[in-house]
Amino acid sequence: MIALSVAAVLAVFLLYTSIAGGGNPSLAPSELDGRSGTVQLAGVVVGPIAGDAHAGGLRFELRDIGGAKATAVPVRYSGSVPDLFKAGRHIVIDGELRQGTFVAQPGSMITKCPSKYAPKRRGDSA
Amino acid sequence: MPELGRAALLVTLGLSLYALVAGSAAAQLGRRRLARSAQNALVASFGATAVAAAVLLSALLRNDFSFEYVARTTSKALPTAYTISAFWGGQEGSLLLWLLVLTGFGAAAVTLNRSWARDLIVWVVPVFAAISTFFAFLVVAVASPFATQPAPLDGAGMTPSLQNPYMLVHPPLLYLGYVGLSVPFAFAIGALLSGRLDERWLVATRRWTLFAWAALGIGQLLGSHWAYVEVGWGGYYAWDPVENAALMPWLAATAFLHSVMIQEKRGMLKVWNVLLVIIAFSLSLFGTFLTRSGVVNSIHSFTQSSIGPWFLAFIALVVIVSLALVFWRVRQLRSPTKLESPVSREAAFLYNNLLLLALCLAILWGVVYPMLSEAVRGEAVVLGRSYYDFFLRAFGLPLLLLMGIGPLIAWRRASLRSLATTFRWPTLVAVLAGVVLLLLGAGSSIPGLVAYTFSTFVLATIVLEFARGTRARKALGATSWPGAFTSLVSRNRRRYGGYVVHAAIVLLAIGIAGSSAFDSVAEAKLTKGDSMRIGDYTLVYRSLSERSGPNATEIRATLDVRRGNRDLGTLKAGKNAYTIEQQVSNEVGIRSDRLTGEDLFVIAEQIDPDGSVYFRVFVKPLVNLIWLAGLVFLLGSVITLWPDRREQRRLVARASEVGIPATH
Repeated sequence: MIALSVAAVLAVFLLYTSIAGGGNPSLAPSELDGRSGTVQLAGVVVGPIAGDAHAGGLRFELRDIGGAKATAVPVRYSGSVPDLFKAGRHIVIDGELRQGTFVAQPGSMITKCPSKYAPKRRGDSA
Repeated sequence: MPELGRAALLVTLGLSLYALVAGSAAAQLGRRRLARSAQNALVASFGATAVAAAVLLSALLRNDFSFEYVARTTSKALPTAYTISAFWGGQEGSLLLWLLVLTGFGAAAVTLNRSWARDLIVWVVPVFAAISTFFAFLVVAVASPFATQPAPLDGAGMTPSLQNPYMLVHPPLLYLGYVGLSVPFAFAIGALLSGRLDERWLVATRRWTLFAWAALGIGQLLGSHWAYVEVGWGGYYAWDPVENAALMPWLAATAFLHSVMIQEKRGMLKVWNVLLVIIAFSLSLFGTFLTRSGVVNSIHSFTQSSIGPWFLAFIALVVIVSLALVFWRVRQLRSPTKLESPVSREAAFLYNNLLLLALCLAILWGVVYPMLSEAVRGEAVVLGRSYYDFFLRAFGLPLLLLMGIGPLIAWRRASLRSLATTFRWPTLVAVLAGVVLLLLGAGSSIPGLVAYTFSTFVLATIVLEFARGTRARKALGATSWPGAFTSLVSRNRRRYGGYVVHAAIVLLAIGIAGSSAFDSVAEAKLTKGDSMRIGDYTLVYRSLSERSGPNATEIRATLDVRRGNRDLGTLKAGKNAYTIEQQVSNEVGIRSDRLTGEDLFVIAEQIDPDGSVYFRVFVKPLVNLIWLAGLVFLLGSVITLWPDRREQRRLVARASEVGIPATH
């Protein structure tokens, strides 16, 4: 009885994974080189921030959180911009690398709420 | 002052340690005076923690920036109410709040139950003490709220989106819920340790569990409402790990509240109930850990968090020790009764439990998947919204249907004929509603249509139950219909309060389906005088204004709203620019239709220097039912929680019938 129900639940899991597959890989800017396909990119916003999010797209760069590697990736983004977005913030966007520029899916930007997570420790730039 | 706070916390740590060691020794050796002393230590630790909390609160109110914590979370310009909410705005303060609530709940639960369940309580005390030792250790040694520094001129201030009345209630309610689950946990573990595996631990903790569960539920809905009106992205739940952190223990506690009834009535599911309590408490620890460690982003950020490793070690310890205890006592927990038929109330409750737990585990899997995949494959893979939505439908819709079936189906074995008489009318009403909705065009979303049909079914069963019960009361001699109704509910608070909660969940389901499956969105850049349309609404952008508030500059766009030919007045949407925090926050404009529960939701996404504004507008049908559900949920919880002397006498009588086994 219980075993049957558990089996049914597992079947739903399998069904999902076979239809929809796993999610997107989440990468840091320094890991992006040579990757194709849609990925999730998490990084620190580097200014200057230029352009218009609702006309032609916003342009800025992203570097690794923690900042061990200096590589920064140019990003083009359009759509809603969260309140917390500014240089120095941690953000997550979905998109793909096209000719050296990370083109984000419109409206995919999420900023990490700084106070709900652990406070930044001294020495962390953000 | 900070010295007093630090000293008070050291005292708490010492008292907790004493209660742990002395309490265990007393329980093992059967020393009554030592056990009493351990109980007193637990009560005293609450006093010491309260002193520490008072020190922190007064430092916040005095803007004493020599406290690192105060300087980091507040500023001079911050209104007093938010200065108080800064108590739980940061890591150290929220850990202190955890400890305060834990010692308070522990002291109260132990004191209230020690006369009638003494042999159980002697083992409950060291369990509480072990948990509070851990939290006291954290605030003493790892994340002290009383760290000092040379006082800066002003503090760093508070994130604007947290400067909101919701933040005065939402986090404390969640903490009451998280910590409240420690009460059934401590009693369950106490029962395992003592070997007193009768139903007393359930009786002693039923209201505590209900309270914790209600607080978690209402806390979450408040959080959703806050996200909806304040965060300003047009939604109310994003499957964010921090949100899921509260949902998971709530789901586990919901399962527990249901399966408890099966144990009380039929003596079944004993192992299962203990496991559910362990799962619920572990998840509430995990939830605290998630919100406070930043581990979800990436396991790399794990090392940045000072409390992360400690927390994870403690959770592992809790899970391992608890499971070992269950394994040790599993033969005494075996139930003499077996499930007689897959079509019975017991079975319906079992399905409900499995579905709730499956949903809970699916969410847990989604939350930990990035960490697991990073550890295994070296690359974090994130499961998106579609993952969670899929499982909410796959497990949530059957749950919705069961909510109509479970409370009405016969115990033991339901015959085909009894099923037909019980469910004839609700099924008819539901099918009819489904057909009508299909004709009205609700077929655009199949899950939405199914949700509505099932919701109608459940509502019909609830109405039918109230009607039948009231008629029976009237026949038994109640003088009036309202009198019959009141006496029905007050004589059976648990059952009818439960129905009210079910009605709330149905409203929630209708609201979620309406606002997500049938919503629409439009966006446009408007200059003054321009208009845009969405559905049958027309919006005209009229003017832009700017004024200085106490700690922010407020920019607002004013729009005229029309629906068809009817003038609905104006709506304001804009942004606040916070001076000290150097942040901007969206202030959305919402117009709710009281009759249909539909919202027109306007975001001024981008305000250009030339005065043109980029608007994003949503129409969300039925979304207000979600908030109405919160009120109904509160009503149902209050009905079930309301003190009931009759019931208490009955339970105590039954417990003394069971008797306190004659050992020791």
